Amino acid sequence: MFELIERAAARDADAVALVGSRAWTYGELAATAQSYARGLREQGVARFAVVTNDVPVAIALLAASSLVGAEACLYAPDIAVEELQRQAAAFEHTAVFSDREDVLALDGPALCTAGFASLDVAGDDITDVPAKRPLLTLTTGTTGTPRGVRHDWGRQLSRVLDTKSGAGQVWLLAYGPQQFAGLQIILHTMAAGTTLVTPPVRRPQAVVDALHAEGVTHISATPTFWRFLLAELRADSRPAPAIRQITLGGEASPAALLVELAATFPEARVSHIYAGSEFGSTGSVRDGRDGLPASLLTRDDGAPVRLKVEDGQLFVRSQASMVGYYGEPDLDPDAWWPTGDLVEIVDDRILFRGRASDVINVGGVKVHPLPVEERVTAVPGVQAARVYGRANALVGAVVAIDVVADGSVDEAELKKAVRAACADLPRPWQPRSVQVVAELAMKENKVIRGTSAD
Amino acid sequence: MTENEASIIKLIEELLERMDKAEGVTVTLDARLHGEDGLGLDSLDTAELSATLEDELGSDPFAEGLMPETVAEIVAFYDAKESVSA
Repeated sequence: MFELIERAAARDADAVALVGSRAWTYGELAATAQSYARGLREQGVARFAVVTNDVPVAIALLAASSLVGAEACLYAPDIAVEELQRQAAAFEHTAVFSDREDVLALDGPALCTAGFASLDVAGDDITDVPAKRPLLTLTTGTTGTPRGVRHDWGRQLSRVLDTKSGAGQVWLLAYGPQQFAGLQIILHTMAAGTTLVTPPVRRPQAVVDALHAEGVTHISATPTFWRFLLAELRADSRPAPAIRQITLGGEASPAALLVELAATFPEARVSHIYAGSEFGSTGSVRDGRDGLPASLLTRDDGAPVRLKVEDGQLFVRSQASMVGYYGEPDLDPDAWWPTGDLVEIVDDRILFRGRASDVINVGGVKVHPLPVEERVTAVPGVQAARVYGRANALVGAVVAIDVVADGSVDEAELKKAVRAACADLPRPWQPRSVQVVAELAMKENKVIRGTSAD
Repeated sequence: MTENEASIIKLIEELLERMDKAEGVTVTLDARLHGEDGLGLDSLDTAELSATLEDELGSDPFAEGLMPETVAEIVAFYDAKESVSA
């Protein structure tokens, strides 16, 4: 990763790389990464965790780790202390760098915690980059302890090295830097030498001002994020920001949302991306249509990413896949990875039908939440919806829907409209409970679907 | 009619209304939930009744392992709950 920053700095050291609580130039970011790298090497740190909401510092540390081959792992910036201790034990992290007082207070014989200044070491630039350069990311599962996913910087960088210069573009980091999707944005922007705006709070409600103030032109985010951002912008008296590129990922992109985005941002190109921590990205789809082109299924053996469908599930084979899960042996890099995403091929498209784990079993009938969600979110007055399975004594589970209303609508009328929108579905698919709620159960700007978390 | 009786009859009437099963049916206390001579609820309809009772009243006899057969048995479940908490 350091090589991307160094390359951008060589082109224009004064170009703004990151905007956090202040602006960082590429020159400054490269110099900070070098000093942190010297600190890691001097202290003999082989693996470490980072807890900070100062995204530029986290990025400098990632770059430093890629320079000396120390395995970095970003924890969620707001992780609770008890959870941090559990994670550190689970992933055998004995060194944690942070700017949080409560984290620094944990410093002891079992877990060494230190501030960033301790890594700031002056000296000669490091140029002897080791061959083995590991990175650990954590999955954001909706329940339980996350899984560690082992990556190799070389594999991650191979796909972005030939990225075209993006001078003049201003990107928003709408994902956490600890998320794999966030890492993809960071790598892309550093490779393109663009500016990345890193707001401290990434909820759509909190970023509107930053979009205007920093002149953001490119945003990659979840459909749920976009849905709420559209609602914020409708309520905002200012004209919509001049977004040029809209990317959706992390969840299936409903066709209705793509239409609404195109209407709100007529100048923008809308694309979507399909990616996962385990298998990397399959590239962005720019034709404004739902799903992935089926032509991806027939690529030849030499393509960097290949797809196949087996028993309705999408499998990926990628050169940018993970090395393996933490605590498990390396995977065969040529092996097919089961994505857990259920798909259907309709004409020339691979269409997503939902996560295998989200399927709701209603009296033996397998119900996919997504088609239900698509119908419900198209109902006027519905801002967002969560479709999930609710335990039921008679049929095992029933489809339940939480909806967030858009402004002041009559609750009884809205529930009626939601039920009517699902009337064409087979009976087991129809909702047996519709509730209007203030907000949805969400995680990292994604709606929690499928089997109820409670 | 007690408060529980009235609210549960109203809830079932609304349920039948949404299911297009309300026509020609009078919801009485001794009405059977299932069958041609009763309210005609099948298993999915009954599942919805169970979910609706939980949504509206916070608890539900089906979820607690009971299988009420008549409207009165549903009412009795809530009456018993109140006498326990009273």
